[in-house]
Amino acid sequence: MDSQIHKIHQELVNKEISCTSLVQEKLNLLKQNTHNSVNSLLEEIALTLAKKVDDKIENGQEIGLLEGIPFGIKDVYMLQGTYTTASSDLLKNYKAAYTATAIQKLLDAGAIPLVKENCDSFGHGSSSENTIFGAVKNAINPDLVAGGSSGGSAVNVAKDCTVFSIGGDTGGSIRQPAGYNKIYGFKPTYGRVSRYGLMAYASSTDCVGPIAKSIEDVRIVLNVMSGKDIRDQTSYVSEAVSADSKATPIKTVGYYKNFIDSDAIGKEIQTDFLTTLEKIKAQGIAVRALDFFDADILVSTYYTLAMAETASNLSRLDGTNYGARIEGSNLKETYSITRSENFSEETKRRVVGGNQVLSQGFSDEIYLKAQNLRNQISARFTEDFKEVDIILSPVTPASPPKIGESLQDPLAMYLSDAYTVGFSLGGLPALTIPKGTSTGLQITADKKKDAEVLQFANFLNEIL
Amino acid sequence: MSKIMTVDILSSIKGAKPSDSVNQLFDVIKNANKNTTLNTVLTNVVSLDDLRPDEVIESSAIEKQIIKENFPREKNGFLVVAKVIED
Repeated sequence: MDSQIHKIHQELVNKEISCTSLVQEKLNLLKQNTHNSVNSLLEEIALTLAKKVDDKIENGQEIGLLEGIPFGIKDVYMLQGTYTTASSDLLKNYKAAYTATAIQKLLDAGAIPLVKENCDSFGHGSSSENTIFGAVKNAINPDLVAGGSSGGSAVNVAKDCTVFSIGGDTGGSIRQPAGYNKIYGFKPTYGRVSRYGLMAYASSTDCVGPIAKSIEDVRIVLNVMSGKDIRDQTSYVSEAVSADSKATPIKTVGYYKNFIDSDAIGKEIQTDFLTTLEKIKAQGIAVRALDFFDADILVSTYYTLAMAETASNLSRLDGTNYGARIEGSNLKETYSITRSENFSEETKRRVVGGNQVLSQGFSDEIYLKAQNLRNQISARFTEDFKEVDIILSPVTPASPPKIGESLQDPLAMYLSDAYTVGFSLGGLPALTIPKGTSTGLQITADKKKDAEVLQFANFLNEIL
Repeated sequence: MSKIMTVDILSSIKGAKPSDSVNQLFDVIKNANKNTTLNTVLTNVVSLDDLRPDEVIESSAIEKQIIKENFPREKNGFLVVAKVIED
């Protein structure tokens, strides 16, 4: 699909549509909330900003490319004065006191926020069912899950309720729902976009990224959000990704053969992926099979570290300074009841798991060993990217499950992240495109080579 | 003095117990091979020259107002906290 941002920009400039009518139309769609994708609407803010854009156009002033473009925000980002719930009981009445850097940059560019979007509570899930706002329904088949944790964001984009949405990706939370809803979702290199104002799940892999209907829209939004931020010391200075889709020739594509030879992969996804590789070879690009870590090692390493980090990050949520406090007989009792009653079962499972691995007697055997495994995985990526320019993989081993199935089997849910978590541990840029298999393809390049990922996506769009 | 802290106390979650599903993930780690020769490159480490200034930045009036609105319990403009009991 062509860029929605360019199309709407031209329509606004040519006065074919007004920004107010555009925003109102999207708000009307969101109000129906047919797929449980909405946590709260930002109607007043959106209409006020839309009128300013219309006034500017009416006065003959130029508008920027993102000015007047409506977008959605996963409900884990701070936007000053708006409810920021993380889809949790604990923060259901919490209002953000400040605005996340990535969101502020979009506001500064004139984009218009419409909605805080449903997601798995604190990012804890792969189906967007672990939420107090109702399970998010898949945009293509509402009996199926939307994927997660940025499920509401993916569905809003797929259903044209937002032009783009900002998701958060810790272990696949942008890429997997993008695949399940047949749109584009990009996890940039770790640190390219500031995490300031994103509620922390696992700080060492948390990434801010765009979900959209075209590669060009992903590129535009990525460029606006990227950059060094003094308030996130892991962020770095980056060059804008150019619109030139043929800047660096891609000569060799690798794939992990154990992902494809696995018993866990669906037959159709396996066949479609191998067919895609043949089409790439037919274009004169070398395709190389690579060895990689077993899926259970990748998933276990990721979840061990993510649980340890979330146990630490969520320890601040005790109902003292903010959150839905439930009074007990003393301080410890107050903490304990507040957290027991207000955290979901999945969040409790992860917090407890994290405290297990961080506790004395277990940290050497599990946590530190998982850190060692992460270093091994990163070292393998470094070696692999000496041999290949791009690594291609399916996004998921299987099609989206029915709503209700994932909650019954947490281990199966964790294992469904097998193809995305490894790249998160490596901090690599990875993009889902809705082509190649029923849940899309995942394109990954070496660190800071985000431009090559988007460039190869453009190439695949031409040949698939 | 040695005191065993169970996960429900460590997590401040009443009645919390380890999960079988999560324990299966940990078993995979226990049985995995450790590489003792690997030279770790800490790519996320911040250089000393690149640290932000160690200075207090005053919050805006609107920020302070919202922080107060978020107080779980408030009395005369102050945050009410539970009495601390050491045991």
